[in-house]
Amino acid sequence: MNTAKNRKLTYGILGVLTAIGVVCWIYQLVAGLGVTGMNNANSWGTYIIMFMFFVGLSAGGLIVASSAHVFHIEKFKKVSKPAVIVSTVCICMAGMFILIDLGGFTNVWRILVGPNPTSPLLWDMCVITIYLIINILDLFWMHKGDEHKVDVLSRFALPVAILVHSVTAWIFGLQIAKAWYTAIMAPIFVASAMDSGLSLLLLSLLALEKMEKIKIGSSLMGFLAGLLATCIAVDAYFIGCEVLTMAYPGAHEAVALSHMLTGATAPFFWFEVIGGLVVPFCILVFAKNRQRKGLVIVASMLVIAGVLCKRIWLLLTSFITPNIEGAAGITLGNQGVIESAGSMWALSGAYMPTAIEIIIVIGVLSLGVLAFLVLSDIFITPSKND
Amino acid sequence: MTKLAIAINKDRCVGCQTCSVACKMNNNVPDGMLWNRVLTEGCDVADGAVGTYPNLSRDYLPIACQHCEDAACQKVCPTGATYKDEKGRVEINYDKCIGCRMCMAACPYNARVFNWDEPTRVTAADYGDARVPARRKGVAEKCTLCKERTDNGDMPMCVRVCPAHARTFGDLDDPNSEISQLKRNGSAHVLLEEKGTHPQVFYLH
Repeated sequence: MNTAKNRKLTYGILGVLTAIGVVCWIYQLVAGLGVTGMNNANSWGTYIIMFMFFVGLSAGGLIVASSAHVFHIEKFKKVSKPAVIVSTVCICMAGMFILIDLGGFTNVWRILVGPNPTSPLLWDMCVITIYLIINILDLFWMHKGDEHKVDVLSRFALPVAILVHSVTAWIFGLQIAKAWYTAIMAPIFVASAMDSGLSLLLLSLLALEKMEKIKIGSSLMGFLAGLLATCIAVDAYFIGCEVLTMAYPGAHEAVALSHMLTGATAPFFWFEVIGGLVVPFCILVFAKNRQRKGLVIVASMLVIAGVLCKRIWLLLTSFITPNIEGAAGITLGNQGVIESAGSMWALSGAYMPTAIEIIIVIGVLSLGVLAFLVLSDIFITPSKND
Repeated sequence: MTKLAIAINKDRCVGCQTCSVACKMNNNVPDGMLWNRVLTEGCDVADGAVGTYPNLSRDYLPIACQHCEDAACQKVCPTGATYKDEKGRVEINYDKCIGCRMCMAACPYNARVFNWDEPTRVTAADYGDARVPARRKGVAEKCTLCKERTDNGDMPMCVRVCPAHARTFGDLDDPNSEISQLKRNGSAHVLLEEKGTHPQVFYLH
């Protein structure tokens, strides 16, 4: 009775937050993207950060679920259904953020009637759609217990999951204009998708266990946590490679690096390195710690926060110093930003999200949690897993 | 083929901003943004100087869309709203623009501006060339090389108004044009050549 009451309250709160988010989004549609903190010097912001973040978070789920079938890892199989639910919800949220970020939302159909094959954004939309379809099919076939179909689908799911992160990375990594232009961008995206995705999966599984929907046991938790430690190490290695390559020649890239190490985006960079990589790795590298639920939860939360910080510094650092510098600079364009800056000019890129952006993000997050709860109610029956 | 281009003689530029304002006026550019800017190089304040007295220098860099031959903005546009037209200009079909701002991230020259808000103008009315199409909120815009003027044999407004005759407009595909001759001049150079965008706006000094 009490849990039912709690659940109603949770659903109610999440529903209200979602509704407030939707209202703000409608306001943004009517008033324009001028209600955000974005401007001509820093033309992408929170929505794109969240888009990258959720594409990544979606990874862990589908990769664990499909490797259970591709590599016949039996112990993964019993968590593959919640894993796919996490993956489905996250990729839908990522898609929502891309749509929210568009200035001409009602014009989206133009992509279908006149696609430009050289645009990485076009390919990202294609691959995300395929990924979503695979997730949904996977979930239904798993639910029906159609093992053979799930087996076959998993062989496609795994490469598509890798591709989703790579193509998302190429939206940034192929741009000669910015410091994003590096071949390691795709591997970095896959690595941070793996570690943040696994962390979210661990947290979701532990939450479902708390709700007595599934039983994962400490051996599976320990195994997933061990995998997480490995992914953290790979992620850290890739970032190390990139930072060294930026620093060594001391050319234009070094300017971007200095913003990361000591400038505006430094807090995010250093939080990621210490809080998101070093600390969780030091916790999870010891087998004994991987058996302790509390420590696994702390490490997972740190990894997720670290990867969010990474998305922030990765995106914003490149907007700070324009390639062609000179006074008076770039015209900001956004009336709200101009008003608070006191000038229509900016020598360098700066960005601060507005309340509207934050409320919209909270709305999407609430909708995501709500969808996760509802889907796990539908697809996960407690008796089956006991 | 036609490959329209602009040459800018930096030695002649006096930093008067006439081109910026004339461009804004002609193209009905909304408040808070410009298609064409005149930057003071190496300074953090417009019309500043570089160095310590008496060893001072001051250089102006007029900059707008470079109408690149290999335009980064055109490659990344998911709907083909940004295109290279038959006269070699980079143009935008505003109807096709979904406002994703991929082009703004891709342009190495910060040439593009976005209609973040419903466009407003201090005059409370449209101004400039009536042939210039209106842009709605949520689309990117930039220098069109004064498409409506150059389609009809006129030169772009920035070239027309420059009091110092720093700008030359013409067709790079015609080897005998004045601009082609300037391009062959030893001091002709483009901005950020290493990016491989092959700008059709080039500079002399």
